[in-house]
Amino acid sequence: MPLDFALIAHQESWRAAADVLAVLRGPGRTPIPDDDLKDIFPWFPPRAICHIDHRSVLGHSVHGIYIDSFIPPDRLGRDYRAENIGRVRDAAACAIKAGARIVSLGGFSSILIEGDSDLLPEKGETVFTTGNTLTVAFVVRGVKKACALQGRDMSKATLLIVGATGDVGSGCARCLAPLVHRVILNARNIDRLRSLAEELSAGGTAVDIATDLQQLSVQADIVICVASLESPSLLLGRLGANAIICDAGYPKNLSPDDMLEGCTVFYGGLGQSDAGMSFEPDVHRVLHHHPFPNVGQGCVMEGMVLALEGRFEPFSQGRGFITPERVQEIERIAARHGIHLAPLYNAQGPLEEAPCQTGGSTDERQIAGSSRAV
Amino acid sequence: MEVVTSPKCATPSDTDAACSIASIWQDVLAQAVTGELVAVLNYTSLAEICQSPDEVADALEHAESERGHATAFTAEGKKLGIEVPNNVNAKYWKRLRNAFLRQIDQRDIIGCLIIQEVMLESFAVASYKRVGRVAPGSLGTTFSAIAIEEEDHIDHAMSILRAARALDIQHFDDKVHELHVDVMGTLAQMFAREDGDGHCELCHGSCVKQLLPKVGLTSSELRGASLQHYLRTLDLLGLPGEMTLVWATQLPV
Repeated sequence: MPLDFALIAHQESWRAAADVLAVLRGPGRTPIPDDDLKDIFPWFPPRAICHIDHRSVLGHSVHGIYIDSFIPPDRLGRDYRAENIGRVRDAAACAIKAGARIVSLGGFSSILIEGDSDLLPEKGETVFTTGNTLTVAFVVRGVKKACALQGRDMSKATLLIVGATGDVGSGCARCLAPLVHRVILNARNIDRLRSLAEELSAGGTAVDIATDLQQLSVQADIVICVASLESPSLLLGRLGANAIICDAGYPKNLSPDDMLEGCTVFYGGLGQSDAGMSFEPDVHRVLHHHPFPNVGQGCVMEGMVLALEGRFEPFSQGRGFITPERVQEIERIAARHGIHLAPLYNAQGPLEEAPCQTGGSTDERQIAGSSRAV
Repeated sequence: MEVVTSPKCATPSDTDAACSIASIWQDVLAQAVTGELVAVLNYTSLAEICQSPDEVADALEHAESERGHATAFTAEGKKLGIEVPNNVNAKYWKRLRNAFLRQIDQRDIIGCLIIQEVMLESFAVASYKRVGRVAPGSLGTTFSAIAIEEEDHIDHAMSILRAARALDIQHFDDKVHELHVDVMGTLAQMFAREDGDGHCELCHGSCVKQLLPKVGLTSSELRGASLQHYLRTLDLLGLPGEMTLVWATQLPV
C-alpha cells in the first residue's frame, strides 16, 4: 500500500510509553515492569508503531504511519539535545525508507531541528513539514474562540506570549498582534525578541519584550505559553483578572489549579477530524488522551491535511516564516477536509458542553465545567 | 570444559576493593570466553554440514578466529592476575548451543547463520563495545578490537542472509521469528534484571550483574545496547521494523 504520510512523534510520559508497549506486546502478556520499561525503551531504534488511515469529508482517505522516535519521556531537556536530534534523524530516515511522500515532524521534533533541515538525512522523494503552521492556526483559533465565548474585546486585551521567538510563538504573534491592544513577548534570546518586536511595531502594535517573566510589571489578559513553563507560579502577578491561558507548550503542564484560580486554561494547538482516523494496531486511545474523538496535535495533522489535499510540499519549514496568510491557507485546506479546531479542554476535562463534530465555526458554543465558566 | 571458580584475590595482601573489581572482571571475562568457545563449537558444527569446500574452510576459519578471541580474553585475565573460567555447559550458554544444534540437526545453514551471526554476534558486538569503553588498559583495547572483528563476521553473513530472504521473504521472516523466540528469549533471560532461573552457573559468586556499576557498566545498558544492535541488524536484513519491534517488546523481562 502506498504511503502518503508519516508522523514523527514520541511519548509524553512513562505511562504513555508503557501503554504503547502493552498494545504492541499484545493481549494476554503481563505488562513490562516499570524498571524494565525504563531500561529497555530508550534503546529501541525509531520505527513505525502503527498505520493510520485518515479520511476526508470529501470521501477519500490517505494512508500513513506513526513513527515513534522513542525519546525517553524524562530526557526531553537541553542536556539530551544532541542525542534527541540523532533520534529524530533516525526516525526521519525510517520515514524516507518507508517511502512516505510527506512527513510531519511533530512539535518537539521541530523544536529540536529548529528549522535546520540540513540536520535531516538525505530526503529523496520525501518532503518534510514541521506542521507548525497548522499548530499556529489552531492556537490562534482557540484564543479567538475563548475570547468570544467570554465576551472579551480582544482589541482591549494585553497578550503575553511565552516562547515568542520560536516558530509557533512568532507565528501566533504575527496573527494576533493586529487584533489586540498590546503584546508582550517573552523568550530567552534578546536579539530575536528585539527583531520580532520591531517587525510587529512596524504594523502599529504596542510591543514590550522581556527575557524574564519576573521583570514584567504589566498584567496580561491573554497568555499563550508556547514554551513549557517550569511552574505556573512564574505567571503569578502577571495575570489580569480572569485571564485566558492557552497552554500550547510541550509537554502541556498548565492546569487550572489554585495558582491559576479564576483563569481559564485550555490546551492549544489541537485539531479534530470530522471524517475520522483509524489506527492499526489500535493505539489511538493510547496515543491521544483527549476527551474528544479524532483529536490530534496540529503539527502532526498538517502532514495528513496536505496529503489529503494532494499537496506533497514542505508547507512549514525553517523558523520564523509563518505568516497570517499561510495560516489562513492551511486552515482553509484543513477545513475543506473536515479538520478544524478541537473543542477546548484542559487537564480537568472538557470546557465545552458538547464535542464539535460538525465542522465550521464553533465560536458560539458554550463552555462549561472549567475552573471558571466562560 | 573445566569450571574454574577460584579468583586469585584471596590472599591477605589483596585489598578488598581490588579483589572486588578483579572478581567482576573475572565474571565478565568468563562470560566472554564462554561465548567465544560456544562460537568455536558452533562454527565447527557448521563446517560439518557445509557442502562446498569453500564454505567448510570459511566456517573453520571463523571457528579459529573465535578461538583466538577466547585466548585473547584469557590472556587479558592473566595480566590482571585472574584465572578466567569457562563453562559452555552453563545454563544459558547450553540452551543457546542446543538451539544451534537443532539447526545443525535440520542441516539448516541459514538457521545457523541467523543464530550465530545475527543474534549471538549482535550481543557480542554491542556488549564488547560497551565493555571496551570502560575496561582499563589493554583489557579495554582487546574488547574493542574484538568487537570490530565480530562486526566483520556479521557483514560477511549479511549478503548470504539477504539473498536467502529474497528467495522467500515470508519463510525467512518466520524462521527468524521462530529463532528469535528461542535464542533471543534465552539471551533476554540471561540479561534480565533478576535471575528468575537462579545462578547462571558461570559467575564465580553471586550474580555479577548487580556489581557491574562498580566498573562503569550496567546490565540494563548491556541488554539495551545489545537489543538495539540486534534490531538494527534485522533492519539491514530488510525485516519490517514495526514487526521486529513487536517481537522485541514480547521478549521476557
